[in-house]
Amino acid sequence: MSSTTWVTRNGRATTVTKYVILTVVAIPWTLLPLWMLVVNSFKTESDAAVPSIALPETWNIVENYTTVFTDGDYLIGLRNSLMVSVPTVLAVLLLGSMAAWSFARSRSRSLRFFYYVMALSIILPPAIVPTVVLLTRTGLTSTVAGYILALVGTRLGVMVFLATGYIRTLPIDYEEAAQIDGASRWQVYRHVIVPLMAPILFTVAVMTVINVWNDFFFALYMLKGAGNATLPLTLYNFANSSQYGVRRNLVFAHVLMTSLPLLVAYIVLQRKVLSGLTDGGVTG
Amino acid sequence: MHATEAIVTGKPVARTRRRAGGLISPPARGQRDGRRISYRLWFALPAIALTVFFFGLPFIANAFLSFTKWTGFSSTISFNGLDNFISLSKLGILGHATYVTVVYAVITMLAQNVVALMMAKALQSSNRLNTFYRSLFFAPVLFSPLAAGYIWSAMLAPAGPINGFIGLFVPGFHFAWLGEQSTALIMVALIDAWKWSGLVTLVYISGLNTISRSVIEAAVLDGASAWRRFRSIEMPLLAPAFTFNVVLTLVGSFSALDIIFSTTKGGPGDATEVLNFAVYNQYGQGLFGTSSALSFMIAILVMITAVPLIWYLRKREVHE
Repeated sequence: MSSTTWVTRNGRATTVTKYVILTVVAIPWTLLPLWMLVVNSFKTESDAAVPSIALPETWNIVENYTTVFTDGDYLIGLRNSLMVSVPTVLAVLLLGSMAAWSFARSRSRSLRFFYYVMALSIILPPAIVPTVVLLTRTGLTSTVAGYILALVGTRLGVMVFLATGYIRTLPIDYEEAAQIDGASRWQVYRHVIVPLMAPILFTVAVMTVINVWNDFFFALYMLKGAGNATLPLTLYNFANSSQYGVRRNLVFAHVLMTSLPLLVAYIVLQRKVLSGLTDGGVTG
Repeated sequence: MHATEAIVTGKPVARTRRRAGGLISPPARGQRDGRRISYRLWFALPAIALTVFFFGLPFIANAFLSFTKWTGFSSTISFNGLDNFISLSKLGILGHATYVTVVYAVITMLAQNVVALMMAKALQSSNRLNTFYRSLFFAPVLFSPLAAGYIWSAMLAPAGPINGFIGLFVPGFHFAWLGEQSTALIMVALIDAWKWSGLVTLVYISGLNTISRSVIEAAVLDGASAWRRFRSIEMPLLAPAFTFNVVLTLVGSFSALDIIFSTTKGGPGDATEVLNFAVYNQYGQGLFGTSSALSFMIAILVMITAVPLIWYLRKREVHE
């Protein structure tokens, strides 16, 4: 009896210690960087030149955030980022799930070969120079369309890899039943496969949104001209537009505005996002 | 709709239209496979085409272009053997950038996996409090690597909060973490690890939660300590998640660029000049051949590490 009480008391002490440690880690890990970002974006340029966690001496919120809109091309970046992210994610989900269904259910050798090619595209680095040349030769360089195609072509691998593994765990009976009832292939896909795949579609959607919204590498090579810039590119251009080094207050305001759409979506959906990524079978 | 109704209600839906070569209708001679493959292929074709055009072909082209003389100043591309690699070596770019990339990737991979394993162990069970901490530690994943770089260059600035904190114990502490040859590379690698650890943690949590409770309970009854259970049961059973995380974090870091663009820009000197940074420099000078050669070097790194690594880690995996 006494030993059980000892165990529970000991267990409680361990639990308390655990959360104390976690809190101590969370402060420099998440809270301090976020605080730095917010508080310095409210300061004047000279005030933010020495980065500190102190509150602003002079509050400069309106000026800073107005500059992000006027000089930082924020709205152009936002429009382009939406124009890129939405079709890219939709295309990855649609085309990836269609292909995954085929890969999971077919024993064709040629399909298996292409499945391996797509799986390889996850780990092998994108060959950026030839991709840019390919876009130039096809007249798609510096256009949002070319950028979207390149993004889709290199992000489909993850979707196909995860979804193929997932469909293989599903019984084929539903598809066969639907087929007996005379459903067309498209109807089987649309009304049987897609609903069954909903969890993995959500997981991949989350991963792809984060990846595409934040893409800088492809954008740097493929999007030329201020009119085509997505948010990471407008942020980079804005940060490097001053001859006098980084104007930290303005850059931080831009960082915050650039990350805001994802942060808001995350705050609203966080439970779903976290459980989707944890239970969505990222490990396949 | 009919199909789903049939599934939900279990009742057959009256519908007479049947297709030849359907999944289970008896095949006409030689037709079954042909038909089946053809519609399977149609469904997979758009994805295959896009991947081939924007991953496969450029990848193969890149391998060839690494061995060509190709610049923005001439329209001819001619084969020149190993000249690109030799000239890049003579300039000290190839060896140095490869070394920097490998060090960067190894630090990032180790830091991410050690941090994520500890976090996953601490936050394994899905109670309310753990969910709160999970979401806190996941937040950095949402920021772009570029943003992560800007934030941490402020945190690590000589007069920034990190030094301010150390200054509490070491009065007058002043050190440019990102401005010194000795620490810049480690710091940018750690910023990369900071950005991604939250996601790696979730993969480990998902791996830990696939281990059946009965195995753990049996070990508890046998008197195994928490460390012993982790060491002898959870670690081996976590192997698939471990393989996935180690390979993807390592391979992903070989292509690092963004964080370096927003922190050190390759400096101080060339201390943080990773391969992708050199690729961009060569490309910017119109030297497409050498640029491709450096890019191909990243692919070589991935191939010579990922393949043996996957093979080795897979071999060690045990299955419940």
